[in-house]
Amino acid sequence: MAATLLILSIAIPWFGALVVWLAGDARPRLQHGLAVAFSVLAGAVAVALLPFSSSQILLSIPVGGAFGDFTFAADGLGVFLAVVATVVGSLAVIFSVGYMRGEQQLGRYYALVLFFIGAMVGLVLTTNLLLIFFFWEITALCSYALISFYNDDPKAVAGGIKALIITQLGGVGLLLGALMIFSYTGSFDLRDFIAQAGNIPQTALAVMAFGFLAAAAAKSAQFPFQTWLPDAMEAPTPISALIHAATMVNAGVYLLVRFYPAFAEVPGWRTAVMLVGMLSALLTAIMAMVATDLKRALAYSTVSQLGYMVYAVGAGGLFASQFHLMSHSVFKALLFLSAGAVIHGVGTRDMRLMGGLGQKMPFTRAVFVIGALALAGLPILNGFWSKELVLEAGLVGGPLWMWVVMLVGAGLTACYTFRMVWMVFYGQPRAKLHAHEAGAAMKTALAPLAAGTLLTWLLAGPFSKLLESTLPLHALESHSTLHYLEEVALAPATLIAMVVIALGLAAWWQRARLQGLVNALSGVARAAADSFGFEAINRGIVRATQNSAENLRVTQTGLVSWNIFGIMAGLVLVLVILLLGA
Amino acid sequence: MTLNITNVAVLVVLGLFATGFYGLLAVRNLIKVVVALQILVKGAMVALVAAGNLTGQLQAAQSMALTVIVADTIVAVVALALAVQVRRCIGTLDIKALTSLKR
Amino acid sequence: MWHVLASLGILVCAIQAIRSQRLLMSALWLAGTSALVSLLLYLLGAPEVAVIELSVGAGLVTVLFVFAINIAGEEAIHLRSPLPRVLTWVTVIAATVLVGWMVFPGMAMPASVPVAEPSFTTTLWVDRRVDVLLQVVLIFSGVLGVLGLLSEGRAGAQKESRQ
Repeated sequence: MAATLLILSIAIPWFGALVVWLAGDARPRLQHGLAVAFSVLAGAVAVALLPFSSSQILLSIPVGGAFGDFTFAADGLGVFLAVVATVVGSLAVIFSVGYMRGEQQLGRYYALVLFFIGAMVGLVLTTNLLLIFFFWEITALCSYALISFYNDDPKAVAGGIKALIITQLGGVGLLLGALMIFSYTGSFDLRDFIAQAGNIPQTALAVMAFGFLAAAAAKSAQFPFQTWLPDAMEAPTPISALIHAATMVNAGVYLLVRFYPAFAEVPGWRTAVMLVGMLSALLTAIMAMVATDLKRALAYSTVSQLGYMVYAVGAGGLFASQFHLMSHSVFKALLFLSAGAVIHGVGTRDMRLMGGLGQKMPFTRAVFVIGALALAGLPILNGFWSKELVLEAGLVGGPLWMWVVMLVGAGLTACYTFRMVWMVFYGQPRAKLHAHEAGAAMKTALAPLAAGTLLTWLLAGPFSKLLESTLPLHALESHSTLHYLEEVALAPATLIAMVVIALGLAAWWQRARLQGLVNALSGVARAAADSFGFEAINRGIVRATQNSAENLRVTQTGLVSWNIFGIMAGLVLVLVILLLGA
Repeated sequence: MTLNITNVAVLVVLGLFATGFYGLLAVRNLIKVVVALQILVKGAMVALVAAGNLTGQLQAAQSMALTVIVADTIVAVVALALAVQVRRCIGTLDIKALTSLKR
Repeated sequence: MWHVLASLGILVCAIQAIRSQRLLMSALWLAGTSALVSLLLYLLGAPEVAVIELSVGAGLVTVLFVFAINIAGEEAIHLRSPLPRVLTWVTVIAATVLVGWMVFPGMAMPASVPVAEPSFTTTLWVDRRVDVLLQVVLIFSGVLGVLGLLSEGRAGAQKESRQ
């Protein structure tokens, strides 16, 4: 039963991708309907898998000796992320019915979205390292193809290529780590590895740990790879909500959490993880302060919030990190989708041209403000509880100065969030824009997310119970919701954090009086608008990759004779190796 | 080295391999590439049966050789169909003309 | 003595098949190779495969070649290979010598005791059932491939005629 559900949760979206694609672009209504049906079905199946969560292997497909068995486990961590992927995925697909109406090539769009959902579910449910790598690369492929969905727009194509190359660079780290794990443990099962991690030489373990950290940083757009995510905003907005806010970028955090028990003892690894999270959170919060593009501002805030999760993992607060991941998936999907409704309504992404849209789009304003309050971390929305838990975990498990930096980041978050809300929905209209309210399909997708933002913090208890069934050696304890609420509400740290957030709000409120300070910091603002120079590094990586590919084109003559020569040279090489070995 | 049948068979295998390799590398006509491939595969088949003869497992070798024959025939059929299509579309069988994907 | 003659014949035919400038002659030399290979297989003690090789390799495949050459047309291409001649010879010699080097030490090993084997029919249909299944799949996919290739040609022709 449970094994069937597990297979279905991967197979339904993939089968749906095939069906939607084969339905043909001549029948867009049918394509919309099929995509919604399949994604909702996948969501239902994943939710139905929740009660079956256990740390045992659920399904093992023998595929011969070479790569171990293809094992799948519906453990707490995996099921939780599978539910996030499929549920947010189905809401994004429902939203797309309104957002993508009248677009060309819907078959490609929906097929890739469904393909992505299936791959994401596979990534979090498998325990076979080869399959993890396989699904990891599929998600990167879908992300690339969807960023470049408008493939006649050079900016979209460049953004897609950049995302692909940077995440592939991280993928090399994953591959290296996985190969080393195989060569040391002789098993492709990550449970074997986590159990035996203590027996592996320290240096080898360190290489694996930092390889995985590089993979996670690239995937989750963390420091120093944080610049691909803003460029990925050329994708259609539902894609930004699904892939670049709620699911795929969480894969990096997932990887860190999954392997945390194995790597926690590597000297310096936890500090490095916290440092990566802290730098990402702080730098991108500053960048979000000066961003003028609505989606880019949201992208910066995504990187910043992912930084909080990574920081929590490094501090040992796995529950806090996953709880924040849940809250963030919900409220960031809400923010992105309502931003999509705004963009769809007014036809521009430039916040400087918006303003005063609240009267024309009251529903969108209401849900966006809910999401924004959660992002800022105001009580009693879900973002408040999870962010406080993250900060508390940081206070317990990390150095004080990092905690202070993260607090500053929380203040900045509140500040840029209100700047965003103000520029879009309040004040005087700055340009003549014909805005119209979101359609029925968009509202259908936004309402559940808004409700979730208001209420998911009540699930803290059941959620910790769910995470208890994560793979062995994670040693996560479960508590009741009340326990977590008390813990957050009574901690003095919460009060300090609230004061900092209030300061952030006040700073925005009194921005006119702080003009002197703003002028003094204009150098920082300029640097932030330029991504603190990391944009140049990332662009350099992309250019180097493309140049080397261009130079290697020489080897591809397209002539059969040369290809056969290559095969023959390989044969000679193999024979020589065999002779030397014998 | 005596000229018993397995030794001779192995020499034939080497000869067929060399001929086939040379053909694959040096020939420019698409249909002759298929001919070279056939010669190479015949070498592999003789090698299988010779090995069976040497180790006394002729029946297993025969059934494997049968698989080789089937696969080889299918390869020939598909490759020849491709060659005919290439001739139809490009107008020549010269493999040097087959580089239109490389731009 | 027969096996030496057959072997010499095989090599001559194979070399002629590659050297011959006319495609039709090439195909016929290939048929000769195939026929002599089947004789060698018979002498090696594999009569079943020898018969199949004779009918399929020398018969069916030759017919196919002649058929294809008939459609595609005779086209003698005398131009030199795009690969440098030295590179070709070095690769061929290196590969062949290395294969020989690996094979001949194995030839010196004492002839193993003949295993009591079941008949060819049993081996094929029982022990190697998977192989047979694979062959069936292969034949089907081959047929489908050829049909696809030919029908594509027809569709293309239709499109052209419509234009």
